[in-house]
Amino acid sequence: MRPPNAEPMLPGLFRQLFPAVAGLPLGPLLTLSLRSLARRRPGLFERLGESRSACFGIDPVDLAFAFRVVPEGQRSSVRVVSKDEAARSDVQIKGPLLTLLGLLDGTLDGDAMFFSRVISISGRTEAVLALRNTIEDAELRPADLLGLHGILARCVDTGVLGALSIARRLADKNPSGAREA
Amino acid sequence: MTMTRLELVCPAGTPATLRAAVQAGADAVYCGFRDETNARNFPGLNFSRDELAEGVRFAHDHGSKVLVAINTFARVDDVDIWKKAADAAAESGADAIIAADFAVLDHVAKNHSQIRLHLSVQAAAATPEAIGFYAAQFGIRRVVLPRVLSLQEIAALNRAIDVETEAFVFGGLCVMIEGRCYLSSYATGKSPNLNGVCSPPQMVSYDEEPGGTTARLSGFTIDRYERGQPVGYPTLCKGKFKADGRTSHLFEDPVSLNAGGMIAGLKAAGVTALKIEGRQRGKGYVSEVVRAFRKAVDAVEKGGEPLDIGRLLAGQSEGARQTAGAYEKKWR
Ligand code: SF4
Repeated sequence: MRPPNAEPMLPGLFRQLFPAVAGLPLGPLLTLSLRSLARRRPGLFERLGESRSACFGIDPVDLAFAFRVVPEGQRSSVRVVSKDEAARSDVQIKGPLLTLLGLLDGTLDGDAMFFSRVISISGRTEAVLALRNTIEDAELRPADLLGLHGILARCVDTGVLGALSIARRLADKNPSGAREA
Repeated sequence: MTMTRLELVCPAGTPATLRAAVQAGADAVYCGFRDETNARNFPGLNFSRDELAEGVRFAHDHGSKVLVAINTFARVDDVDIWKKAADAAAESGADAIIAADFAVLDHVAKNHSQIRLHLSVQAAAATPEAIGFYAAQFGIRRVVLPRVLSLQEIAALNRAIDVETEAFVFGGLCVMIEGRCYLSSYATGKSPNLNGVCSPPQMVSYDEEPGGTTARLSGFTIDRYERGQPVGYPTLCKGKFKADGRTSHLFEDPVSLNAGGMIAGLKAAGVTALKIEGRQRGKGYVSEVVRAFRKAVDAVEKGGEPLDIGRLLAGQSEGARQTAGAYEKKWR
């Protein structure tokens, strides 16, 4: 069994795919998807209160790059940045990508992950708490982020969540091997 | 002494958690508005007016009740904020308002007689005289008992009053007699009873230092953790402090309440409702705790063997120490 604070790192195969992904205009794509989410579900961003204008540095420790996110409703922005730049944000959230994605889709509990140190957080604690509570309530599915509906949405949700769960199982089975990959 | 079926009262910090609690078997869910009128005024938590109305509809459709906590103390020049919150709770169709302040109790009693009034734990009413006063003046139907009473005291109290009692059975403990703690106000300028937030996150920092992580509140060191060791939220009374050259949990050990083994005893003592603490907790936690207590309460109601709540909730306690609190008080 994995010790409580061992990190389920991204398996080698997935990590090798990611430099290619980094070449995509990931920032603009994520910005668009966040803004369209804000159009469809404005209440979700209201829950963030004053923390809407905070800058969140999200640093997946198993990737070579990080993100700076300002979740300001329809003026939201996401930028792909260096780890150093992410570290200069109002809030820094650091952890394995699979864990961070698990928090987003509600598979994992933010409190448990933080208190057991699987993810590390620094900076404005109230903004982290507001974000955590907002995500908790949002019950986001991958299709919500892509703005999809109907059958297509269901297919994407099943596909993405299925892939994530396989990746998590692989990481769980061999955490040390995955970390070396 | 009442012998009706025990009511399980569960926390909800967000609409999603309300739905999760109802689906897990809550008889009633308690929640509050997203402002200083409730004692869990944390960022990102709580309900807008519309969300509450929707939550009430959902709960009623599933046979559960909604109790709205408007349980902080109003400010002299801003009483309207509290009165308007009470009006909105009444309009939403909620089943009860949980209040402590005379101004709120009086406003609800005079203007919204159709909604039940529950006396919040924040009022710290623990004697027949105090409870009788609230019942006579404001028509309260239930009192949430401070977490300082033993089972025997609760039984004696129930024999002497004719309103229902609600007792905490699980979750975080506030060691002071409720409503009378100044630790947070002293350290942060924010009070649990006035601003609705103890040890507010705006003043929390986790600082990575050579020896590990230091959790601070408003610059005061509350606890230190070695690298890799699980950290906790720096609630002031649960911190480690140095006094007389010794470092210890000066005010209170960081334990949480688990009176799951006392459900039958609480019922025999005449308690009407069992309350789970934790409006700041996520839906996963709330669902699991509510499900476990649902099973345990049902087992007691059927007259069967009491269930081992500790075992049912092994995944949630994560090694944290638990106590049956004052219910099995041996001191005095
Ligand atoms: S500091 Fe502790 S005793 Fe005081 S209000 Fe907060 S939780 Fe309760």
